[in-house]
Amino acid sequence: MSTVVYSSPFVPAEWIAAHGLRPLRLRPGAGAASVGPVMGMCPYARAFVGDVASAAAIVNPGRGGSPDPAGNAPAAGWHGHAPLRGHAPAESGTHGHATSRGHVTRPLASDPASGAAGRVADSPWRETRRAQGAGCPPGVVINAVVLTTTCDQMRRAAEWLALGGGPPVFLMNVPATWQTPASARLYRDELQRLGRFLVRLGGAAPSREHLADTMEAYDARRAALRGALGALGAREASEAIARFDAGEEADDAALRDLVRGGSPDPPRSGACEKDREHTYAAGQETRRARLEGPSVPREGPQTRRAQAVPLALVGGPLAREDVRVFDAIERAGGRVVLDGTESGARTFPAPFDRRRLRDDPLLELGDAYFGAIPDIFRRPDTALYQWLGRELAASAARGIVLWRNVWCDLWAAAGVRLREATGLPVLDLDVSGEEAGFNRTADRLQAFMEMLK
Amino acid sequence: MTVAPKRLTIEELDRLCRRRQAAGAPLPAYVGPLARHVADGDRRLLKLEYDDSAAALRLWSFLLTEEERLHAARAAGRKIVGTMKDLGTVPVMAYALPNVVAFYPDGAWWTPCVMELSEGLFGVAQSLGLGDAFCPVRAMAGAFVNRAHFPIPDLLTCSVGATCDDFSAVAQRLESLGFPILWWEIPSRRAPEPGEAAVTLPGGFRAPASQVAMVRSELERLRAALAELAGAPLGDAELAAGIREANRVRAVLGDLRRLAYTADPCPMPALEMLIAEMLAIHFCSDRAESVAVLTELVAEVRLRMDEGRGVVPAGAARLFWVNPVADLRVMNLLEDCGARLGGTEFLFCHALDAIPEDVPPMEALARMALADPMVGPSADRAARIVRDARTLGAEAVVVSRIPGASHCALEGAVIGQIVRETLGLPVVELEVPPVADPMWPTLKTRLEALVETVMERRKR
Repeated sequence: MSTVVYSSPFVPAEWIAAHGLRPLRLRPGAGAASVGPVMGMCPYARAFVGDVASAAAIVNPGRGGSPDPAGNAPAAGWHGHAPLRGHAPAESGTHGHATSRGHVTRPLASDPASGAAGRVADSPWRETRRAQGAGCPPGVVINAVVLTTTCDQMRRAAEWLALGGGPPVFLMNVPATWQTPASARLYRDELQRLGRFLVRLGGAAPSREHLADTMEAYDARRAALRGALGALGAREASEAIARFDAGEEADDAALRDLVRGGSPDPPRSGACEKDREHTYAAGQETRRARLEGPSVPREGPQTRRAQAVPLALVGGPLAREDVRVFDAIERAGGRVVLDGTESGARTFPAPFDRRRLRDDPLLELGDAYFGAIPDIFRRPDTALYQWLGRELAASAARGIVLWRNVWCDLWAAAGVRLREATGLPVLDLDVSGEEAGFNRTADRLQAFMEMLK
Repeated sequence: MTVAPKRLTIEELDRLCRRRQAAGAPLPAYVGPLARHVADGDRRLLKLEYDDSAAALRLWSFLLTEEERLHAARAAGRKIVGTMKDLGTVPVMAYALPNVVAFYPDGAWWTPCVMELSEGLFGVAQSLGLGDAFCPVRAMAGAFVNRAHFPIPDLLTCSVGATCDDFSAVAQRLESLGFPILWWEIPSRRAPEPGEAAVTLPGGFRAPASQVAMVRSELERLRAALAELAGAPLGDAELAAGIREANRVRAVLGDLRRLAYTADPCPMPALEMLIAEMLAIHFCSDRAESVAVLTELVAEVRLRMDEGRGVVPAGAARLFWVNPVADLRVMNLLEDCGARLGGTEFLFCHALDAIPEDVPPMEALARMALADPMVGPSADRAARIVRDARTLGAEAVVVSRIPGASHCALEGAVIGQIVRETLGLPVVELEVPPVADPMWPTLKTRLEALVETVMERRKR
């Protein structure tokens, strides 16, 4: 089964699975951050690209200098990309980067319509060195990558990745605005375009029933995960979500059958919501309800330590090794009672409305993801701050640890505002993805805890 | 006997100004000695060197009096629209209304340079959580908060989606401080899929018709907001007239660019060309005067060409410059190093191309917005640079990085690689901070080395 790797929570796993492909939301390994320019590039984006490259046994050799012993490219010596055959000036009508499927990507071997032959042979990914500590799960063969426009760094990383000889890349347009019918429609259109990409990759376009069944199965699994999270410590919860995203807990026969195209009895859970018209106004209602809906699961009482300072961890995505931040917080005398990172339960889609799911599953899918996930890139970003207000109050967190990757402008701008909006002390952690940097992080956490105690 | 143009100090330029005033030369009211702006804190003006023409004096005076024009517009009861990020689209719509003036608060990114950091805008931005990791456009947030520069707009718009994260984050911070923003979506431009209906955009890029339609629907929201603000309809007829006027500016600027970037010896300095190009995006708050300013520059250039006069010796290395510089003085440096401008891509080539007049105006504006080089892949942008550099005969490319800008880390590498591969031209990447004096030796050395490379290549 082909594996489609993605990063953003706005890529619905069930949409990929319904096409008969394996979705894998990758948490890259920080050790794979050995490609690309260091200055100005988000370490998470570098790590993601590095992981994909490593899994494909390809590492960018286009840089001019030699890597240092840790495998990091020299900042000044990196020369970007190897020759890009197939480039044509814009006036020629072939649209510069030689794509024909509507996104930055190299051609699929199995896609006769894609054109632009000759790119792979002269790829920037010629070297076949595996980056030390590469984070892609062992044995996984990546057949395609889906990135989104939710941040400039990943948008450009998609192009950068696509210029190489690695797996084909699909750049999905996720609108920043969300209050208009046009933005919701654009998201759904992009899902359909993604669907065509998946079909070209060897997938099968799902029937409405099959899509609905797949969505129900995922919804049930997600509900079970939500329930389970409450009994776990913060690190374990984060790792459980990572396993869910990687499909590693998907050994149940029902899901396997669904992914293969069967249609077992869908799991039943939850009552049907009130019937609604599939209008934008109704969608807005649904979104509002979801944004005020189920709280993020929090630690169960059995894992609570009364003496520890309750904290919220808020911010961007975690690389795989980053779960150690939960340990570092505990060692410093705190505990995470709210995981508001991009890798946490904050970015779960809303539960599906079972009736709407059957009437128009794609519409429901769009609403549950685009209409419900609060995130930093959205304009305006009011839903994120509403979510934080609600969840921080419910969790009784006494401080916020802002987890932001260096060069991530979106989260960098949030530090002072978080303080203003919540009235809580905020520790602004800039994360470089480097070991030495984490030691500094641990020291800063210790100091923050001492201040809160 | 003709005298070669030379660069003037501010004192020399002001003497020229006073001579013209004393001689009773017909000058617009805003033309005056630049020293008055130095008195207001624009200290960088003391270190710049200026073209010695009356046209350049007018250009500088026009640029430096924009804030006064905006305040005068406010006092006269005209509505002020702050258009953020799109660099060229919304002002065309706004100026189609008789009582509306539009400007780019983004332009405050040059204030720390012009005032040599004495204005404290970066400090204000820092206090808002917008520190050094952000591009210098963070100065805009400081200008909104301290209210010491432009008037606070009656309507604030901002394009988001396929835009740089710096800007999106700074604008969102502004909104959190109580400056409401009308956000509008500009999707990431992509190539059409096989069989998908497609449109050729101004400048030559192609995009799916569905993306153009999406942008058009977004611009309709802006149209409604502008009309409501103005209390007047903004119909297709008004928009079509506005597009024609914008195209007049673009046409004159097109002439100026073609002449200035191809004639040898170079008839207009790099610094004045940078300023002239900026007029295209919002007309420096006076569309009609923009045409007049540019027309006088074209006349000066033609005169110099007829007389064979140039601002640098004939045969200077022809550099194609990518991205605007945060420190204006670097444009002087280029000529000090024996080079001249041989083409530019200052992030807004979509504001230089003619807007189609043979399609409905909203369709035309949507196509133009989607032609923004920043909303598409870097490879698209590189393709445009390759095309223009080839057409203009550039001999090398300088990619001027903007400190902290989210797009600069990767796109410079992509552009550089494509230019090298396609044209075989040397490429250098420079990072230019708002006041580049501490880096002067490094910048100078690198530009000189590039010029030497160009000269060596000529011998082959």
